[in-house]
Amino acid sequence: MDIIACIKRVPDTSEADVVKIDPSQRDIEKGRLVFKINDWDEYVLEAAVQLKEKLSGTLTTVTVGPKDWDEVLRRALAMGADSAIRIDQDVSADDPHTVAIILKKAIQRLPYDLVLFGAQSEDFSSGQLGATVAEMLGIPHATLVTGLEAEVGKVHVQRELEAGTLQSYTIELPALLTIHTGINQPRYISMGGIRRAMQKELQVVSLHDLDLSPETLAPMVRLEKLELPPKGKEAELISGAPEEAAGQLAKRLKDAGIF
Amino acid sequence: MSSIMVVTEHRNRALADVSYQVLSKGRQLADQAKVELLAVVVGSELHAYAKELARWADRVLAVKSHRLEEPLAEPYQRVIAHLIEERKPGIVLMGHSSFAMDLVPPLSVELGAPLATDCVDIFWHDSRVLVTRPIYNGKVNATYSFAQSETVLITGRVGEFPVEEANRQGQIEEIEFAFEEEFDYKKFEGWREAEAGSVDITQAEILVSVGRGIKEKKNLEMFEELAELLGGVVSCSRPIVDYGWLPSERQVGLSGKTVQPKLYLGLGISGAFQHMVGMKGAKMTIAINKDAKAPIFSVANYGIVDDVLKVVPALVDKISELTE
Repeated sequence: MDIIACIKRVPDTSEADVVKIDPSQRDIEKGRLVFKINDWDEYVLEAAVQLKEKLSGTLTTVTVGPKDWDEVLRRALAMGADSAIRIDQDVSADDPHTVAIILKKAIQRLPYDLVLFGAQSEDFSSGQLGATVAEMLGIPHATLVTGLEAEVGKVHVQRELEAGTLQSYTIELPALLTIHTGINQPRYISMGGIRRAMQKELQVVSLHDLDLSPETLAPMVRLEKLELPPKGKEAELISGAPEEAAGQLAKRLKDAGIF
Repeated sequence: MSSIMVVTEHRNRALADVSYQVLSKGRQLADQAKVELLAVVVGSELHAYAKELARWADRVLAVKSHRLEEPLAEPYQRVIAHLIEERKPGIVLMGHSSFAMDLVPPLSVELGAPLATDCVDIFWHDSRVLVTRPIYNGKVNATYSFAQSETVLITGRVGEFPVEEANRQGQIEEIEFAFEEEFDYKKFEGWREAEAGSVDITQAEILVSVGRGIKEKKNLEMFEELAELLGGVVSCSRPIVDYGWLPSERQVGLSGKTVQPKLYLGLGISGAFQHMVGMKGAKMTIAINKDAKAPIFSVANYGIVDDVLKVVPALVDKISELTE
């Protein structure tokens, strides 16, 4: 089975104390942020590697971004991808539709039975890219996949809905799935794996190579402005060293009749 | 623009909560623009839903076909695309549900219509519609406009739009839809509801809820101890289930359980909206997180900005002292 895994690199803002909007008002200040692979995409890579181990075939991983994005491709190679392609275009300010056009062009040139995306990204979280690419490729899809088994010509998938309800489908290949967290336990990457990955070649492809030009990529959705969210109700903060704060909290819980 | 269209969902013989929420928002936008509000409901046995929707909508389009009994996005896509091409609504609104995630992006491609998902605000500005959606883990709000288009597609975040009661008597149009194609490339195999499990966190008065901030599985022990001291149980946010540290029956949030305990201790939980949707009914919330900007502090009564792994052992000691 030939698999394509599409992954991305994101700034880690989950614990970033200070997220500031940069003077352009079009983006946040990223200088001090740490970048990493999108959470969902680790599960994508593990799912892809497991299928490859079971059914053999090729695993190609694709990302769209400038040179620094190579780091997520190296990670994919270390996990077991055979080849890696970076489309050399900064799309961090582009809408998902634009990115979908680029990925569709790249995927069309490759052999594939199954295309995998993360169910969403940590940065823009639109959750729309995978299903958009599926429609552009004219292949069936399922989003939010938390269970996946493949056999010749088809996949059995489980989707996770609200309140933990699951839905099962059988889908003919070629197909596109978007993978949700928790579908597997992504493997630990060894130093040896990373060293081997450093020796593998990354393919760099330009928009021109894909018969695209920036002019052909008109956005469907335009950013008007960025703002910090309005301050809501604020918790009363208990300060002090851990013991002191814990003592005060314990007292309040007692006063509230909790124990 | 002649109308705004809201696409609704139903399951287990009830319309989805989020459908009421976006219906209310759609009503407001339609009133402001002085256009008709259309509500779409698709499936079989639609009469009760249609009557309900007619309280908000000027016109309910109830689309029947035996192909629509199963939750397959593809036949729904054909129906909705057909209705949009026929009625030409300026805005099509739907809840940002798991079903919409399967359905709406392909619809956007098929129609060549711009799409913005998971919006928390939708408003008119100089007779154009703008939307706001949170990005970067909810730390920034981004406002977007759409490229020129007859129709734009918008999905609204669950729990974000208050339900405004309405008492109209909109017209109900029953539509029979015949499909020209088979959808045999994708076969629905069945539902599975979440299992009850051995611990029912929805019945607990006190929840000691843990998230990523607990760092390692072995650290769960101190939280179990705290829960035991308080007579509560341990629940968690999604990552803890993803890591396999606790079973899914302990998960609070959109894809887990909705809880309303007397006390909710959010420990090492940043408070992604998917989590907060499930716990905002708690009577008292206490958050401990080292990230002062963690959204959970905005719903907490008390907060401590520090590492839970330092505060919780101290808290266990203090509570033990005070109970002796």
